[in-house]
Amino acid sequence: MSSNLIFYFIRHLAALFAGILIGLFLGAPLLGGLAALLAMLTWHILNIIRFEDWLATGQIEKFPAGNGLWARIFSRANYNRNQSKSRRRKYRKLLKEIMTSARAFPDGVVILNFNYEIINFNEVARDLIGFRKTYDRNQRIDNLIRHPDFVSYLNNSSNQSSIEISSPQNNDVWLSIRLIPYGVDQYLLLIRDITQRVRFELTRTDFIANASHELRTPLTVISGYMDTLIDDQNFPKMWSEPIRDINENVNRMNDLVDGLLALSQVENSVSAPLDKMIDLKPMLIGSKKQGLALKDCPINIEVKLESDVMLFGDETEIHSVVSNLISNAVRYTACEGNIVINWWVNESGGHLSVKDSGIGIAKDNIPRLTERFFRTDEGRARFKGGAGLGLAIVKHILVRHDATLEIVSQLNEGSLFICHFAPHRLSSYSHK
Amino acid sequence: MSTDLFNQHSSKRFNEELEALRNSVMRMGGLVEKHLYTAIESIIAGDSEMALQVAQEDYKINAMEVEIDENCNRILATRSPAAADLRLIVAVIKTITDLERIGDEAQRISFLASRLASDSQPQDHYRELKALGEHVLSMLHDSLDSFSRLDAKDALAVVEEDKLVDEQYDMITRQCLSLMIEDPGTIKRFMDVTWVARALERIGDHAQNIAEYVIYLAHGRDIRHIKLEEVRQKLSDS
Repeated sequence: MSSNLIFYFIRHLAALFAGILIGLFLGAPLLGGLAALLAMLTWHILNIIRFEDWLATGQIEKFPAGNGLWARIFSRANYNRNQSKSRRRKYRKLLKEIMTSARAFPDGVVILNFNYEIINFNEVARDLIGFRKTYDRNQRIDNLIRHPDFVSYLNNSSNQSSIEISSPQNNDVWLSIRLIPYGVDQYLLLIRDITQRVRFELTRTDFIANASHELRTPLTVISGYMDTLIDDQNFPKMWSEPIRDINENVNRMNDLVDGLLALSQVENSVSAPLDKMIDLKPMLIGSKKQGLALKDCPINIEVKLESDVMLFGDETEIHSVVSNLISNAVRYTACEGNIVINWWVNESGGHLSVKDSGIGIAKDNIPRLTERFFRTDEGRARFKGGAGLGLAIVKHILVRHDATLEIVSQLNEGSLFICHFAPHRLSSYSHK
Repeated sequence: MSTDLFNQHSSKRFNEELEALRNSVMRMGGLVEKHLYTAIESIIAGDSEMALQVAQEDYKINAMEVEIDENCNRILATRSPAAADLRLIVAVIKTITDLERIGDEAQRISFLASRLASDSQPQDHYRELKALGEHVLSMLHDSLDSFSRLDAKDALAVVEEDKLVDEQYDMITRQCLSLMIEDPGTIKRFMDVTWVARALERIGDHAQNIAEYVIYLAHGRDIRHIKLEEVRQKLSDS
């Protein structure tokens, strides 16, 4: 490179000397040198003009041949130009392939930048959300999907992995939306149509509610007759045991239907009222008495109230939570066992705990406890009564009250159930 | 017309402020849409609990209106915007007023819904109210969409829709009237139904207003109180 530079430099100097020499012959060396310089300048300017002309039009016939240094510049520029052209063609092809594969994707895909502005989306996303091809690039996604749940999901996506909302275009279509960060400050929004599943769930809850409602009427009739039959002294002795069995099972069935009805009532996720205050003190003391009555041998139940802060919500539902937790504790705690009920408040919210010294729960079973009809051990749990719906009801009620259920337990070491209520559910919470 | 309209400032901060303002209006709009949807749904389902939830949360919409209003005032005071930016601020101030009113109407509907829920559901499950409600809801949705897209064509479509809503409203009142004459025992209930229809019709008007602000924002033309044909003419001129 540098040797080339020196070569061209020497060539220019040689031209200048030649000019001066000719000028010497003619008696005006300075004028000769000047003329040589002028000629060189003209040649360069001419080449620059031709170069510009070719760059501007890009026509192949205007490609300047040039010579010397300019020939090199021209050929290099031409090479770069062709190179970038083929590279561009390659990228365009790659982009097309990517978009084709995105189009083949069964779910909606939206690419967002760091500011949640739409960069691109595929056709499925367009159909599900109702994007417009020409309008919606650079639009913030939450300008178009305005559902408040989605907006809050977007703003703190760490809490939930995905969100289910109805489509902004059609309220009957349900979508599951998931935000995935990728690359440098980019996000991928995956949208899936879950209408089928939501509808199925709806039919299922409807069915359970209807079925348990329908079962209730014949059960009431049966248990009514059973009550009179049990008291009937004239009935043959040999029937007394079967009748007691029937009565017991009818009662269990009644509990089961009641549980199913209660569950179907609390299952919809509408939030519990925020304007009704519940005083936990009388409720916990009352539940203690009920708990003691459940057991036919002595048991210690201690109620600790570390706070007198009240709770906002539905009183009967919270009562159902408390009595379910306490009856569970009583059921699985042996005679002379200890149960401690506590209510306390700190900066993270309100906490209601029920601790027992019972048989405990195996670690593997804890996550499944709140499933309906789940029992840790078929044989052992059945004779203790209960339908296996209690904790499912508790879970759904807590969801309605913006609360979570924490279960800490080990086999044979007792269990601890804690309900964590969000701060805005407490009477001590100040609205800002 | 694209959102690039607001991306031509030397001050990046100002751009961001305007974008955030637009976004906050859309957020408020989303909340109002949800409230309206829940209110209508609670009538159809006869669910008083769902209805009262809307009534309880109306304060959120009001708080958002105050907040956005304050932001507009601050931008007006500190940036002294001109042309399209000024139009945006003006349109935002007007839009949030209408959104807040829609929120109030949704609250009114939800109160009526909780009252209607205590009565037995009619055979048709308020089919007409549902149709009117869905119509109004889609109007609100489209007007907000056109606001975020600055799409005057869509906005004009919303303005045209309002006539249909008025017709539906007339039909419901007439129907209610004849039912009341048939059986005076139902007067109380059908008065409530009429009030719901009235509230929905008002919401349609507010949605129409928002659409008009969008046209003003996109084209700088005021189309209020002008016949639709002239509006179309004006828009095709520009």
